[in-house]
Amino acid sequence: MNNIYMPYTAEIKEIIDESPDTRTFRLRFRDADRADRFEFKAGQFAEYSAFGDGETTFCIASSPTQKDFIECSFKVYGKVTQSLRRLNKGDTIGIRGPYGNWFPLEEFKRKNILFIAGGIGIAPVRCVINNVLDLRDEYKNITIIYGARSVSDLIYKQEIKEWKSRKDIKTVITVDPGGETASWDGEVGFVPAVLKKNAPESENTVVILCGPPVMIKFTMPVLTGLGFKDEFVYTTLENRMKCGLGKCGRCNIGNVYVCKDGPVFTYAEIKKLPQEF
Amino acid sequence: MDEKIISRDDLLKICQDVIEKGNTLLTPGAADYSVVKDVSKIDLDASALPSKISYKSYVFPRTEPVLYYKRSKNDVQLIDVNIDSKKIVILGAKPCDANSLNIMKHLFNWDYSDDFFNMRAKNFIVIGLMCSQFDEYCFCTSVGSSPVSEKGSDIFLIPLDANTYALKIITDKGKEFISPYNGHLKSGDENRSKRITENVKLPETAFDSSEVYEWLGENFESPKWEGVGNLCLSCAQCAFVCPVCHCFDIMDEDYSYTEGRRMKNWDGCQFGNFTLHASGHNPRDIQSKRYRQRVNHKFRYYVNKFGEILCTGCGRCSRGCPVSIDIKEIVSNCKNDQKELK
Repeated sequence: MNNIYMPYTAEIKEIIDESPDTRTFRLRFRDADRADRFEFKAGQFAEYSAFGDGETTFCIASSPTQKDFIECSFKVYGKVTQSLRRLNKGDTIGIRGPYGNWFPLEEFKRKNILFIAGGIGIAPVRCVINNVLDLRDEYKNITIIYGARSVSDLIYKQEIKEWKSRKDIKTVITVDPGGETASWDGEVGFVPAVLKKNAPESENTVVILCGPPVMIKFTMPVLTGLGFKDEFVYTTLENRMKCGLGKCGRCNIGNVYVCKDGPVFTYAEIKKLPQEF
Repeated sequence: MDEKIISRDDLLKICQDVIEKGNTLLTPGAADYSVVKDVSKIDLDASALPSKISYKSYVFPRTEPVLYYKRSKNDVQLIDVNIDSKKIVILGAKPCDANSLNIMKHLFNWDYSDDFFNMRAKNFIVIGLMCSQFDEYCFCTSVGSSPVSEKGSDIFLIPLDANTYALKIITDKGKEFISPYNGHLKSGDENRSKRITENVKLPETAFDSSEVYEWLGENFESPKWEGVGNLCLSCAQCAFVCPVCHCFDIMDEDYSYTEGRRMKNWDGCQFGNFTLHASGHNPRDIQSKRYRQRVNHKFRYYVNKFGEILCTGCGRCSRGCPVSIDIKEIVSNCKNDQKELK
């Protein structure tokens, strides 16, 4: 019998405290063979277990080009994320996956890419950024716009530094008004406004946009105004999931199962969905 | 069509043999399909209404472990489960129940195969029994079935008189099951059973399912959902008594400090927290949206995905509803211009 609900165990190799409420786990499968064979594409997600408290769904936040480990980043919110936070380096979690679709990076080749992320939405975007940077020659101009509520809420601080120091990408980091510190050298303002000032030309550019619904709601009109077409704006939907396999029945939006037909959708596709997400 | 005749006594002899071989035999009663221990108590009554619940739980249990875990200092050991692959014979399945596994199997095999379902479904032998009774909640004829439908049955029985049944072998599985008992079968006369099935009184067709499908596609936003949403208590009994509702939850249950199991439990789309995000956001935050999901899932989404209606017309959800919401009435009236569905 093939048990589709059986996870693989993985060891927490490293814990990175990204912000007061967000943590990254660097994970390696305990089974060496599984570790070697595990393959995924940027944008796919997995079900992570904290045994005793259950499973929860996040994207895989590391790049598929990184073969030694996988990473997930999570904000402590509910029962399972609280349980995950209690785990220490060397402890074991469960992973099922990868599930869902991905960003069609093949189609992005020889195009400009504009990354826009807000809050924890940076996690799936960071996976694609690192994937693209590892194959830098295949893509044209790259722009990253990332916003968080405050300086302490910014995550992946070390990587941001590296992105900022690179000459071949444009990186703009912003915090909401009031979230800046005395030494803050980035932008202050909400993502839509910062986007307006820093957007590249829309010609031959694809957009990867992830963040809280309210940010997406106000960013889309700005993108449209700048000439970006809905079918070249990619985003992810995060509905509640249990199985990740298209069975448990809660992540659907109309006919679409976010776990199987998503989580990556173009804005044009999202517009066609019933407004129930 | 391979049609035979079998006497009631011979049918019970087969049942006795099924039990003696260590298999499970189920027959419907007023409450549920229960395990038969004494064949003399079997009462095959074609004129009974559907039992309160179907036999869904024998293939998709209300609660079942999908794995066991043992935590040690840093490590976790995972132990797989074994599915008891005993043969289950359903004797006298209502035609509205008989097709339920065929409808559900699409979902459980869509891309990923759920062997918890498959291993059990594989061992099911469904002996359907013509149905000669219906009440105001029955609507099998509106969803492509009927009281004499053989769909989903491996073997189908039609009562000819008090002690004789016409026995039709429908599937290869049925043929294989019955072959050791061929001595009990006499050759039948199709015309005799036809006279009976043709004269069965059918529940009136309440709606045209393709019209409902169209209406749902154009009326995602409709004031009608609000009417029924205001009535519904979100108790989800409709999902639990439904022979084809299949949504579930996965959760962990510790039974000691170091050990526990991961359970797959029935869930229902009418519960408020079914789609609730950890952040507090809920895509289906009010009852009208949840009821809309239920009707759409059954009469539109499932049809789009798998080409079948996710409903057998058994009427259990309506019969058991504490606030008398009648799904047949709701979908029949969907096109009417009254403001509310009820």
